[in-house]
Amino acid sequence: MIWWLASLAADALPGPGVTAAALADMAADGRLVSIVWRLAAFMGACFAIAVVLGVAGGLAIGMSRAGDRGLSPYLAALQGMPTSMWIPVAAIVLGTDVWSLGAVVTLGAVPAIMLGTRTAVRNVPPLLLRAGRTLGESGTSLVKRVVLPAALPGIMTGVELGWSIAFRCLVAGEIFSGALSGTGIGTVISRSRQTGDLTEMMATIIIVLAFTVLIDRLVFSRVQSRLRTRRGLVDAGLPH
Amino acid sequence: MSASVRLDAVTQAFARRGSHRAALAELSLDIAAGELVAVVGPSGCGKSTLLDLIAGHARPATGSVTVGGVPVAGPGPQRMLVFQEHALFPWLTVQANVEFGLRSAGVAPDRRAATADEWIARVGLADAAHLHPHELSGGMRQRAALARAFALAPQVLLMDEPFSALDAPSRDRLHVELQDLWRETGTTIVFVTHNVREAVTLGDRVVVMSSGPGRVIAEVAVTLPRPRVVESGRVVDLAQHVRGLLDEADQMGISAPRHGRDGYVSI
Ligand SMILES: Nc1ncnc2c1ncn2[C@@H]1O[C@H](COP(=O)(O)OP(=O)(O)OP(=O)(O)O)[C@@H](O)[C@H]1O
Ligand SMILES: [Mg+2]
Repeated sequence: MIWWLASLAADALPGPGVTAAALADMAADGRLVSIVWRLAAFMGACFAIAVVLGVAGGLAIGMSRAGDRGLSPYLAALQGMPTSMWIPVAAIVLGTDVWSLGAVVTLGAVPAIMLGTRTAVRNVPPLLLRAGRTLGESGTSLVKRVVLPAALPGIMTGVELGWSIAFRCLVAGEIFSGALSGTGIGTVISRSRQTGDLTEMMATIIIVLAFTVLIDRLVFSRVQSRLRTRRGLVDAGLPH
Repeated sequence: MSASVRLDAVTQAFARRGSHRAALAELSLDIAAGELVAVVGPSGCGKSTLLDLIAGHARPATGSVTVGGVPVAGPGPQRMLVFQEHALFPWLTVQANVEFGLRSAGVAPDRRAATADEWIARVGLADAAHLHPHELSGGMRQRAALARAFALAPQVLLMDEPFSALDAPSRDRLHVELQDLWRETGTTIVFVTHNVREAVTLGDRVVVMSSGPGRVIAEVAVTLPRPRVVESGRVVDLAQHVRGLLDEADQMGISAPRHGRDGYVSI
């Protein structure tokens, strides 16, 4: 509705009807599937690496007081800055190709995941750690069997935040320079820039939006609700 | 398998913003291998602190703690602590919780399951084995924690008011069950409670502590025949005597003045 009114006011903005037509067009010639597919593959790969790095790093600093004191302020500062500022840097250092944007997207997500993991590890109830030790666990197997599962809901929060940062990074990268990532979004952006026709652009925005909503619905909220139900963090009127 | 426990002039204090707050004032205690000792004392007198020291979760400020002649260096499954709060892992089912320690000890999966099944059945949770802790009632959680401790066959079993959240009938049943298990396994048990009758029912000996900072003010040997129940007349009589000792200690002002808001709490 707002969109429709805005498109009446501003000539350059394509209305919902035209965009829908463009969307159908893109679906018909396979561009839609191609964008979604390449988007999923690119983000999936980058994000998987980011999660591994972030959780491992977060565990490491969460478990060591000295490491935490030394590193956390820098991490917090890093997280506070827009990660897209690394895009030009990476473009110059690593060249303007897929790898350079991939590195930025991956590393952009790491501080958030790391900080989330660290906080979650810090907040594991000491009683559970004691129980684990009394039952004969120590060292890495204590981490694996007690710390990690106990911290999982908190880690998931960091992972979600990391995801949104990674996504912002990706889009910023695409805007900065054409076909960086190979997802095809960049190509669309530069084409619209040249022709001044925003229809395809709007359609692509819709696709990207739909993609993020879908990921949130299918992955994050599902995992979160499973974690919460299993641990009794959802009040179901059970005895206490 | 069981081991003796010896505390020698142990003190413990907690630092809080520079000021020290004593939790235990020179406590010495000798527990023979295979003995079942009950410890009573008012709330906040340092009973949980005492068990923490034996379990190895904390080091004493001064003095020494030895189990089986060996100084306690850290927590381990030979000195099993049943916590005041159940401390079950919320992401695991009852079954997996009971198997947790067995897995740490490297027991094979089928033996693990068999042992866990046995103990879960003994505490009466057979049809709740697949539930998560939050799906259990308070008493059921406590029983699951008991099964988890017993399944490891520890040398010393440290129990911190394990039955205080239970209803009277299941508590009575577990009193009898605990005495049976103790006779069968021969484990050394230190049973902390603030319930004087429970202490007299279970203990070979009742150790009476003053209000905090705790010290041993009396030891009462209990020679009544087992299994005992809380209602039995002789248990009640002896409990009256122990209660008298506790009250006397407080009236004589043996308890040192304490800092902080939570003062003396009568039991
Ligand atoms: N981690 C801690 N930090 C500071 N003070 C503590 C800590 N743990 C215990 N204390 C203090 O030590 C004293 C003894 O506590 P403890 O938990 O051993 O009492 P308790 O005898 O087990 O009491 P209850 O019967 O209520 O469980 C209390 O005054 C308590 O405030
Ligand atoms: Mg206590």
